[in-house]
Amino acid sequence: MANIKFPVVKLDNNKFQVIVDFNLYTKEVVTASIYKFSHLFYIHQQTDADNPNLVNVIFESKDDNTITEDITKQFCNELIDQQLRHNVNAQFGHIRDMIVEEAFKPVNSK
Amino acid sequence: MGYQLLPFRFERFNDTEYLLTNEVGEYIFLQNEDFHRFVDGKIDTHSDLFYDIESKQIATTDKVEDVVSMLATKFRTKKSILRDFTSLHMVVPTLRCNSSCIYCQVARKNRDDHSADMTKQTAKNIVKTIFQSPSPCIKIEFQGGDPSTDFEMVKYIIEEAEWQNLFKKKELDFVICTNLTLLNEKMVKYLKKHNCMISTSLDGPKDLHDTNRPLQDKELDHHAIFEKHLSMIRRIWGNNDCASALMTTSKYSLGRFKEIIDEYVRLGFNSIFLRSLNPYGFAKQYKEKIAYPIEDFIENYKEGLDYIIELNKKGTFFVEGFAALLLRRMLTPFATGFVDLQSPAGVGIAGVIYDYDGSVYVSDEARMMARFKNYYFRLGNVNENSYQEMFNGELLHRIISSACTECLPACVDCVFQPYCGADPVRNMSEQGDMIGFRPTNEMCKKTKSIIHYLFELLHKHDPEINRIFWSWLN
Repeated sequence: MANIKFPVVKLDNNKFQVIVDFNLYTKEVVTASIYKFSHLFYIHQQTDADNPNLVNVIFESKDDNTITEDITKQFCNELIDQQLRHNVNAQFGHIRDMIVEEAFKPVNSK
Repeated sequence: MGYQLLPFRFERFNDTEYLLTNEVGEYIFLQNEDFHRFVDGKIDTHSDLFYDIESKQIATTDKVEDVVSMLATKFRTKKSILRDFTSLHMVVPTLRCNSSCIYCQVARKNRDDHSADMTKQTAKNIVKTIFQSPSPCIKIEFQGGDPSTDFEMVKYIIEEAEWQNLFKKKELDFVICTNLTLLNEKMVKYLKKHNCMISTSLDGPKDLHDTNRPLQDKELDHHAIFEKHLSMIRRIWGNNDCASALMTTSKYSLGRFKEIIDEYVRLGFNSIFLRSLNPYGFAKQYKEKIAYPIEDFIENYKEGLDYIIELNKKGTFFVEGFAALLLRRMLTPFATGFVDLQSPAGVGIAGVIYDYDGSVYVSDEARMMARFKNYYFRLGNVNENSYQEMFNGELLHRIISSACTECLPACVDCVFQPYCGADPVRNMSEQGDMIGFRPTNEMCKKTKSIIHYLFELLHKHDPEINRIFWSWLN
């Protein structure tokens, strides 16, 4: 069985860190995913000192919200969904613009 | 890939399925595995599954330009509320009221306090402003206080509007929002003659209605007078459709939705709009006493909706208004005129309110905020500003450009976006800016939960539930 490096790390002081690989997820996707958790936790992003393609996303407790490994796993799932949205949007985003442009085009009544 | 993906949004609906919706509200559920095959371009274009997806215009094997044309027509229809500009014009002839509702949102005045009565000059300027709206349909809705406390001003505005309309020839409607208790036969006959419909408030059975909406004169029995006057109004009009009612949920209403619905049925109403408390006025000031977590409302709403569905199954035609509105958006290509849930938001461009002093606010909630010294959403004053200054000014442009769910954070990707709307006034009131923060936004939580529940019900494919839902749309 292959040795999989798990991206979630428990830190001191009730903090968790998720290592995100920019080869898999874009910056916009990481930000959109963080947004959905920012009411529950303080979230910091730091580019990995040794590898600029990795960003460490650190979850810190806020308002007595307990951070568990499950939360960080939910974050990982959110990254997947957001990246998928990003990918499909790249395929049809221009069509969405065409629909809106066509819909609001002035109508020639003659 | 043998097909082109068309714009859609998605969300994990449950453990085994994704929900996909497109720009015009078409939807489809896909098993997890099918969804991933679909976005990877691996669905057989001759399979039944692909035909289903294609019929919803979520992917196509046709020329994209042709599909764009069809989707654009549907999108234009869905957004047709934008075409005519402001049609709902709410007018506050006075702040006087004989009620003392526990959640009053407008800082009412006592019946003998005339300090917040509209003058005839202001009323004249309001009507003049209203008729500058390009909309071919104008609805003037009297709000308060209770407008029946200054019925002479209501009559003045109705007659002034009818006079103006002799030249403008628009479709003109009137509605008066009143607790009914001050209406007499002469007033009702006048309202009938001028086709002014009546909108009232009913919070439930006697004890609950009187708790939420007591009259200032404690000797009077609000609910008994309400019931007596409702009968009188229906007798004069000759039908039950002349008066509709709205309910507001206070803390005291929780756990009692079945009783509230039964009371509506008993009094001959065939619909109810299960409405949560809005965070304005006393409702905000005395939050601890009368408000509740939005999750409690959502649970009560679901129980109430289930009960209404059961009533319909037993043969009583009865509609839940919010569900009917959302179902119309989910199941039909048509637009719905509900000002509070539009994108761009309907504030100012679909509905507007004129206060007793001539001040113009983008919505009733904006006026409520002004009572508590927040004038952010005041467009101007009919006695000082032109129509163009107010309705084509920098403020309204700024508000509307901040109120499109198509580009608001989190809304932009939300699978329920085609059915939802933006509310910059509420965002400002609750969260301090017009954009708001969706993860903690109560309006968002409520609307998403209710849409999700409606999808759960539709997904049961229960022919009886589907029949009931469709009967609400006709």
